[in-house]
Amino acid sequence: MKCEAVQERMMEWMDGRVPPDLANELKAHVDACPGCQAELAATQRFARLLDRPPAVSPTPELRKGVYAMIAEEMAGAPAPARRAEPRPARPAWAWLRLPAVQALAACALVAAGYLAGLRRAPAPTPPTAASAPATQQDVAEIRAQIGQLVGYTLEQQEHASADQRLETVLTTAAEPKPNQNAIDSLITALAMDPSVNVRLSAVQALYAHADQPIVRTAVAVSLPRESSPLVQLAMIDFLTAARDRSAIPVLTKLSTTADDPSVKEAAGRALAQLEPAHF
Amino acid sequence: MLDATPASDHALMLAVRNGRLEAMGELFERHHGALFGFLFKLLGERTAAEDVAQIVFQRMLKYRHTYREEGHFSAWMYHMARRCAADQARKSARAPAPTDPSTLDSAADAQPAAADLAAARDDRDLLQAALARLEPADREVLLLSRLQELSFAEVADIMECSAGAARVRAHRAMQTLRAHFFQLQQKVAS
Repeated sequence: MKCEAVQERMMEWMDGRVPPDLANELKAHVDACPGCQAELAATQRFARLLDRPPAVSPTPELRKGVYAMIAEEMAGAPAPARRAEPRPARPAWAWLRLPAVQALAACALVAAGYLAGLRRAPAPTPPTAASAPATQQDVAEIRAQIGQLVGYTLEQQEHASADQRLETVLTTAAEPKPNQNAIDSLITALAMDPSVNVRLSAVQALYAHADQPIVRTAVAVSLPRESSPLVQLAMIDFLTAARDRSAIPVLTKLSTTADDPSVKEAAGRALAQLEPAHF
Repeated sequence: MLDATPASDHALMLAVRNGRLEAMGELFERHHGALFGFLFKLLGERTAAEDVAQIVFQRMLKYRHTYREEGHFSAWMYHMARRCAADQARKSARAPAPTDPSTLDSAADAQPAAADLAAARDDRDLLQAALARLEPADREVLLLSRLQELSFAEVADIMECSAGAARVRAHRAMQTLRAHFFQLQQKVAS
């Protein structure tokens, strides 16, 4: 191979993205070519620089904005099979015009998102030999960024016992006129609390606020992430009682894929009640 | 309880397409960090990168019906990201421009003073300035080629050229980037 052809393949080679035969050919050339050795060293240095995450990270507003869009779409999306064409374009920042309750829904969904990261963090892609240090550093930095965002809530969880958190939920539920922050706390408990009892109590406490779209959306989003069949059953009952048809896709999925037969059956029953014939 | 093993990106996006919109939250958690990083390096500005990242997720929701059974989520997402970033660059007067080394301290907004930063940050700022000096298409292909989840064939597809052309362009962009970097380094030192 000529030097130019070797150098054009260097980035792929050092990333382990070339077939073994070609890798051997490239190595044989570089081993014997001082010019390509220098080029490889320079390419590796700049590839590492390029691979580093930027010094700045996105603000929490990005997560809030995206989750608000999802909530809005879930609240307003017709069944996909009936939609022939994509909807007309909305302004990019339509979510900013949502009522305050929808903005709070975003906060609740952020909590659900954190839960995804906490309970089911995806395994990092195995690094290649050439890029291992940079890749591991990237993962660590990204996790650190997420960690900063969830730190406050995790700290709260760590410093309060399950009994204390349960008491907080029950106290909130007993308030004659809980404010929106209190409702937000209930939703956060439902999405994030490690105790089944606390999550179960949060579902029960949220019944009083089932008229709020934020509450129904948060329950629907948390349902497929929930690990306890007991809490899932409570959530399904909640969504059925709230007659929230935006939960139909979630329930449909559960009715076929849930591991627990009682959850599967409950989702099927809920679907039967939420189908258009019942309205 | 749902499946114990995490669903693939592709499975999640198919679920979104089929009406399980909440699965987009999981995709966001998996990919927004890398997407933001790509956009920040491409656009050189935090607010713009964040705005475009949000638009990308908005478009993925809006155009979810166009996601194909045989699709590759990352390739689809970065295809949209490139388009959205181009739109942003056209609309905004903040499109990447050659950076004066004397203003490198303010290259990233809301950053502490350069004197307080580790030496590694100097390289970061210089790199960002060098990236800004590349032709937009060179910057795009170089940054796309560093995304390990994309093959060169997919980079080429996103860039709408052949894999060979993408490979050559990425290589030359890397050489140009290095030249700009060393020039800027000398200016800062002098």
